[in-house]
Amino acid sequence: MKRLAIVGIFSMLFLSLITGCNSSAGTSSSNDSDTIELRFFHRWPTEPKKQYFEKAVKEFEELHPNIKIKTEAVLNDSYKEKIRVVLGSKNPPDVYFSWSGEFAYNFVRAGQALDLTEYINSDKEWSGEIIESQFKPFTLDEKTYGIPWSTDGKAFFYNKKIFNDLNLEPPATWSELIEVSEKIKEAGITPITFGSKAPWTISHYIGSLNELIVPEDVIAKDYDPNNPEGDFSHPGYVKALEKFMELEPYFNKGVNSVDHQYARELFNGGKAAIGYFQLAEIGLIEPSLGEDLGVFNTPGIEGGEGNPNSITAAPEGIMISSKTKHPEEAMEFVKFLTSKEKGTEQLKEVSEYSAVKGTTTSENASPLQEEAIDLIVNADKTYLWFDTAVDIAIVDAYLNGTQQMLDGKKTPEEVMADVQAASQKVKK
Amino acid sequence: MLSRKVVPFLYIAPCLLLMGIFVYYPILENFRFSFYEFSAFSPDKVFVGFENFLTLFKDEVFYIALKNNIWYAVISIIFQVFGGLVLAAILEDPITRLASSFFRTVFFLPVVISITVIALLFSFIYNPDIGLLNSLLAILGLEEWTRAWLGQSETAIFAVIAVSQWQSIGYIMMLFIIAIQAIPKELYEAADIDGAGKIRKFIYVTVPQVKEMLFVASLITLTGAFTVFNEPYILTGGGPGNASEVLGTLLYNSAFFKDQMGYASAIATVILILTLLVSLVQMKLFKTGKDG
Repeated sequence: MKRLAIVGIFSMLFLSLITGCNSSAGTSSSNDSDTIELRFFHRWPTEPKKQYFEKAVKEFEELHPNIKIKTEAVLNDSYKEKIRVVLGSKNPPDVYFSWSGEFAYNFVRAGQALDLTEYINSDKEWSGEIIESQFKPFTLDEKTYGIPWSTDGKAFFYNKKIFNDLNLEPPATWSELIEVSEKIKEAGITPITFGSKAPWTISHYIGSLNELIVPEDVIAKDYDPNNPEGDFSHPGYVKALEKFMELEPYFNKGVNSVDHQYARELFNGGKAAIGYFQLAEIGLIEPSLGEDLGVFNTPGIEGGEGNPNSITAAPEGIMISSKTKHPEEAMEFVKFLTSKEKGTEQLKEVSEYSAVKGTTTSENASPLQEEAIDLIVNADKTYLWFDTAVDIAIVDAYLNGTQQMLDGKKTPEEVMADVQAASQKVKK
Repeated sequence: MLSRKVVPFLYIAPCLLLMGIFVYYPILENFRFSFYEFSAFSPDKVFVGFENFLTLFKDEVFYIALKNNIWYAVISIIFQVFGGLVLAAILEDPITRLASSFFRTVFFLPVVISITVIALLFSFIYNPDIGLLNSLLAILGLEEWTRAWLGQSETAIFAVIAVSQWQSIGYIMMLFIIAIQAIPKELYEAADIDGAGKIRKFIYVTVPQVKEMLFVASLITLTGAFTVFNEPYILTGGGPGNASEVLGTLLYNSAFFKDQMGYASAIATVILILTLLVSLVQMKLFKTGKDG
C-alpha cells in the first residue's frame, strides 16, 4: 500500500505539473518584484549585428534599471516563419522586428500590433528625426504600427577593375546592360552573379522590373490584396519576366542550385563583374573589393511605362505586440533603438542605413555608401520589396513559376497565368 | 490484492501520461485542425469540413510530392535495406572480417554527422561550378554529364535521395550486422557440409534468419521515406518550382510560408494515414511475432 501511495503522489505531481503549465500562461509573472521583463525578438543571430543588439540592450538596461530585456533571434527565412507562430501564441514577444508593407499589415489585420500613432505624435522631438516617408509602409488606415529602424534599397554593383580592363561604362539602359554583359561574357568572365535556390532573390528582380515596365496605378491596384480590380493582366508583367530572362544567359551556371551567399562570394572573389545586391550588403562586399566597387541604379527599360527614376527600397522596423503588458516601457526601448545616437552607430558597426535623418555622413560612411544612399534619397518613387509588398500566395506562384522558367520548364505567359489564378483566389 | 492489478499500471502511468500529452493529444488535435481554415497568428478558426482534403486531392503539387516520396521509398528499400543487408553479409564474411571494423566505421560515420552538416557538404559537392561531382565527371572525360544537379527539375529529387542513401545505409547495415552475428554458427557449418557456396548461404541461411530485422529495417526506411523533411528542405527547399517537393516540405511551406495552418494539418493527417497503412501492410506481409 505504501508503494501505491508513493506512485499516487508521483502521478499527482505529474498532473499538477502539466495542468500548472496551462494556468500559468494566463497569469503574469511580473508582479513578483519591481523589475519588468520585456521580450525582444529580432532576426540577427549572426555577427556583427548580434553583438550590436546585445550591446544596445545592455546600454538600455543600464539607463533603465527596472527593465530587463530578454532577446531571442533567428535568421531571415526562419524568422518569417517563426514570427507568425509566436505572435499567435498566448505569450508573444513584447517588441519584435518586422519588414514593412504586407508583411507588417498582416500582423495589424490579425490584431497583433499595437497602434503607435499616439506615441509618435506626442514625442515629436524623437519621431521628427526619422525620415518621414519611411513611416508610410508601416501605416494602415492612417494609423502607424511600426517604427522604421533601417532603410535599404536594391542596386547593381559592379567591379570597376573588370569594367576598366574591358573598357566598359556602367550601363544606363537595359539594352546597354545586355551589351555590356555580352562583352564581359566574351572576355570569359561571368557577367552577372546570381543564386536563386532561395527564390526571394528572383522576387527582387521582378519587383524592380515591374516598377519600370508597368504603370504605377496598375501596380497599386494589382498589389493591393483588398482591391478586386487588380488581376495582374497588364501585358507589362509578362514583358518584365521576358526582360528578366534576357539576363539568364549572363548568369553563372545553375542559378537554381546556388544560394545568394554563394553568388555574393563569386562577386567578392572577382569572378563575376556585376551583382544585384542590397545596399546593406555593402559592408559585406566593400572589404574585399575596396576601391574597385561601383554602383548604378537598375537601368531604365526602353518603352517601359513605369517611372525610370524609381527604386526598390523599403524600411525595416520594430513593432510592439498588442498583447504587451508594458507598452510604455516597450516604447521606451523602441525609441532608444531608433534614436539618432544609435542610428549613427548603426551604419558604422553593422552597415545598416538608419532611418533617422542625417545619420549617413562622411564621418561614418564610405564614399560608396554615401553614393548608394543618394540613390534612395534622389529617387522619385520607392517601392517595397516585392515579396513583402503582395500577398504571400501571389508571391508563391511567382517564385515557383520563375524558378521553373529559369529551368526552361515554363514561359513567362504560363507563369503569369499561375499568378493570375493565385491572385483571383486571394481576392475572391 | 487490488494493488497487484493496479500497481503495474501505475508504473507505466507517467510514461503513458507523457506519451498522451506529447504524442497522442497533438495527433488528435492535428486531426481536428484539419477541418478548419485558420492562420497561425489569428485566433479565429473557420470550420470548413472536408474542404482542406478536397483542395489537397485537387492540388497538383500534392501528387508531385507523393510521387517523390514514393521514389524515396523505392530507392531507399533497394539501396538501404537490400544494399545494407548485402554489405553486412560481406563484412561479416570470415574472409573480410579482418578489415571489417575499419569499413564498419567508414559506413557508419555518416550516420552520426548532423543532417544539416551533411546537406551543406553536399551543396558543395553538387555545386555546378566548383562542385566535386562535376569536377570528377570532367576529369573522367564525361563533361556532357555535368549539370546543376540540385537546380534542374529532372535531377533535383534524385540528387537529394542519393544523399539520404549515403547517410543511412550505415545504420541499416549495423542493424543487419547485429542480426547476422546472432545466427548460430552451426547453420553455416551445416550449409558448408552440404557444399553450399557463399551466395547460396546468403540466400538460404542469412536472409531467412534475419527476417525480423528485415521487417524492422524496411519499416524504418519506409516510414522515413514518407516523413522525410531535412534533406530536401536544406538541399533544394522543394525547388526548382515544386520539382523536389515531398509531403514534409509541402506541409512546412503551407503552414509557415503560406500560413495555411488548416491545410497543413490536412497534409499531416494524410502523412499519418499513409505511414500507418505502410506499417500495417508490412506487418501483414511479414506476419511478425507469429513465428521467429
